[in-house]
Amino acid sequence: MEASPILDVRNLKVDIPLTDAVLHPVRGIDLTVARGETVAIVGESGCGKSLTALAIMGLLPRNARLTSERIALKGESLTSAGRKRWRQLRGDRIAMIFQDPMTALDPCYRIGDQMREILQQHRRVSNKEARQRSLELLGKVGIPSPEDRLSQFPHQLSGGLRQRVMIAMALLCEPELIIADEPTTALDVTIQAQILRLLRDIQRETGIGLVLITHDLGVVAGMADRIVVMYGGEVVEVGACDDVLARPLHPYTEGLMHSIPVPGETRQGQTLGFIPGVVPRQVGELTRCGFLERCPYAHAKCGAGPIALRDADVSDGDDRMMRCVLPADGSGRSPEAWVRDVEGA
Amino acid sequence: MMDDVLVMQGVTRDYPVGGAFAKKRTLRALRGIDLTVSRGRTLGLVGESGCGKSTLAKVLLGVEEATSGTVLVDGHPIESYGRIERAKLIQPVFQDPYSSLNPRMTVASIIGAPLQVRGEGTGDSRRKRVEEVAGEVGLPRHLIGAYPSQLSGGQRQRVAIARALIGEPKILICDEPTSALDVSVQSQILNLLHRLKQELNLTMILISHNLAVVHHLADEVAVMYLGRIVEHGPSQAIFDRAHHPYSSALLKAVLPPRPGSRLPELGLEAEFPSPLNPPSGCPFHPRCSNDDGTTCHEIDPEPSGTSHTYRCHHPDNFTQTAAQDQAPAD
Amino acid sequence: MTNIEQTTAPSVALSPGRMTLHRALRHVSFWVGGTIVLAIILAAILAPAITSHDPAIQDLAQRYIPPVWTEKGSWDHVLGTDNLGRDYFARLLYGARISLLIGFMTVLISGAIGTALGVCAGYFGGWADMIINFVITIRLTLPVVLVALVVVALVGSSLTLLVMVIGLLLWDRFAIVVRSATQQLAHREYITSAAAIGSSTWRILFKEILPNITGPLIVVASIELAHAVLLEASLSFLGLGVQPPQVSWGLMVAEAKSQLLFRPWMIAVPGAALVLLIFAINLVGDAIRDVTTPEGKA
Repeated sequence: MEASPILDVRNLKVDIPLTDAVLHPVRGIDLTVARGETVAIVGESGCGKSLTALAIMGLLPRNARLTSERIALKGESLTSAGRKRWRQLRGDRIAMIFQDPMTALDPCYRIGDQMREILQQHRRVSNKEARQRSLELLGKVGIPSPEDRLSQFPHQLSGGLRQRVMIAMALLCEPELIIADEPTTALDVTIQAQILRLLRDIQRETGIGLVLITHDLGVVAGMADRIVVMYGGEVVEVGACDDVLARPLHPYTEGLMHSIPVPGETRQGQTLGFIPGVVPRQVGELTRCGFLERCPYAHAKCGAGPIALRDADVSDGDDRMMRCVLPADGSGRSPEAWVRDVEGA
Repeated sequence: MMDDVLVMQGVTRDYPVGGAFAKKRTLRALRGIDLTVSRGRTLGLVGESGCGKSTLAKVLLGVEEATSGTVLVDGHPIESYGRIERAKLIQPVFQDPYSSLNPRMTVASIIGAPLQVRGEGTGDSRRKRVEEVAGEVGLPRHLIGAYPSQLSGGQRQRVAIARALIGEPKILICDEPTSALDVSVQSQILNLLHRLKQELNLTMILISHNLAVVHHLADEVAVMYLGRIVEHGPSQAIFDRAHHPYSSALLKAVLPPRPGSRLPELGLEAEFPSPLNPPSGCPFHPRCSNDDGTTCHEIDPEPSGTSHTYRCHHPDNFTQTAAQDQAPAD
Repeated sequence: MTNIEQTTAPSVALSPGRMTLHRALRHVSFWVGGTIVLAIILAAILAPAITSHDPAIQDLAQRYIPPVWTEKGSWDHVLGTDNLGRDYFARLLYGARISLLIGFMTVLISGAIGTALGVCAGYFGGWADMIINFVITIRLTLPVVLVALVVVALVGSSLTLLVMVIGLLLWDRFAIVVRSATQQLAHREYITSAAAIGSSTWRILFKEILPNITGPLIVVASIELAHAVLLEASLSFLGLGVQPPQVSWGLMVAEAKSQLLFRPWMIAVPGAALVLLIFAINLVGDAIRDVTTPEGKA
């Protein structure tokens, strides 16, 4: 690999002990983010993508247990870092953008005060310098009349402006890594495009590493360099964005792609593909493919043991991995597999 | 000849805002809606949050009353129906299946509630009908005695649809029926809605901000902006050649999950204005790239066109005035 | 039906209410508090079977017998006798009847008033809310003990009157809590759905809203139960509550107050009983609050 990546995570696991069992929402994730790279973690609710993000931020809920072989930020190992070190890093070298800016901003404080607090937490700056820096960043994220905004409260801003403020706050200390958890899901479609552009432009300009967590493959298509597809706490597919979208290898990714209507491609009322069943509860170690019950291609081999994430030998791109026993050349697959048994009728 | 099941004429809805201390003002959520939906058709209603589409749904459901204007359902004003007659005609499916089902009731009693409310049938006949409808929407039989907390999002939405359908309504109002669901589940619900609409000849109002969903189900599309309909026409016509710049922007905002797709440039300036203080003239002018600086600021455009109407002084995809902003979607 | 969504299928469907009960049964303070409350209730009901003494019968030859654990105590009068030679243990048991009766009756009355007002204010909003809020404010300005004092002074004291007075005064917390709980529910989509299927207002209030606010309601009820028991004791202590020959714990404390320095057990015994009951009720209330909050996330 090239010089040390911004983020290097090996075998990250999160366990949550409950009264009757232990949940394994994240079952060993590897993730690297290089400078200036956008890595999208894609998956549906319950796949463990948000817990992965919180784990990297050191923000897991208290009842969750984190284990990992390695979590390193720019070569500095954080595996054994204490709470204090995490606190120093958060907001400074790693920043997070949350889904809902209304709940992520404190309604009791003015925008300016919230920004100043972040700066003074990590840097020795005067109030005046903090104000200067805040103004500069509010301008940079395209907020009109930033002077006025500093003295406003979060509820006085629209959803789009609030998310811009969140981005400005994330950028205050010039972090090396930004984790954006569904940054546009709570926003209107017209605002979504603006915010995504803004994120992408800033990232290109500064070379920040961006981890984009989303369930929306459309957002991924416009933003990501690489895609990590998660299912049931595991990575099931990795690859360059365009490669994965053009030719999904894992049946889960394939199923997702077939279930999305696209104006101009799918006909009106065309029966869409879907993934039958629900995500199973993540209890106990996996003894077979985690996607087995829902997979239309499942056969005897899939139940024999846990499936390893392996290199897929495909011509259209290196660095592609999949957690499936099917051949990567796509033989034996068909789009119809996803629409048979329509609603069990 | 198709008959018009739903006719709205000049419907407005105002909300007073401000309390004891703040100055009282009027929020005009609906500012004159004219809309006709024929039997068996599906109308897609799109727009950003705050455009009034959910208020429109509430007025159609009879949960809220229009401030002025008339709503005709099946030829009669909506106020002329009693609580129960209205419920027999119109039923809703809401966005969030986690909040649309009473957590203290079983699936069977939720689905059967409409019949119980009307006092129709005996306990036995109701139970039979509940099982029938549950089967129709693809809800496994063993879940009938379960409580909502034991169901997945998709299953809950099926319960909500079953409850809406059990009384055989003529009109189904779906308010963002899939936006709280995962994509793989969303497609199941879309398939289901499409099948039901054909089998039962349902008239459907589909409210959504997701144009892909609207494209999938709707026969006609109405685009709402600040409490009025700025463009209305057959679905295909709008998806092919939207005239209003706002509709074009919404269309461009759809992000297809395809390799090489780029983030669209919408050409929308500024933010969604406050409905409390709508801009003068054409309410869209502060965000419009076709804004001419004079007419647009002063005169509110009237609807033009016949089967495909739009409110704009300088429509897109239209002979000479077409804008610079016209590169077809990436 | 093929393989659609079969996984989370529950074998036995437990209602949310039953699940709450299951969780409560695993909660330690629910057990401890519940056992104590239950024991006191049983003792009150079974009082004639537990002791052969009549709490009202005086025996001036047997005055001020100390409890059994002192030198001069006897097993005949386990907790001794009072200034009129009445058996103290019997008085404690029969006194529990009055205390509990007043507690539960007043909670029923105040709960009914408060819930009705709170639900109306929360569901209808607007004018109804303003008026009910005004009424709540008025109620909060009235000092409970003072009002009770005036009423008793004007009308005279009786058990029914006491229950009515306390019940009519303690509904404020019910109203406030129920109002805000209802407000949160009123915007849920299942309430709108219920309206859209043609449900009457009554049906919405009773079938959709009430079952979903039982959690906070029970918690408030437990607090108010303790509150009412204590208030009865205070009023009886002031001589405005239960009148002899009826017994209540508050009255026992009042009658023994002159003996505070000479025979402290006479105050300690009913006092300890009060503390124990109220502590136990609060334990149960706490447990219920613990097990009802995570609801819906299950």
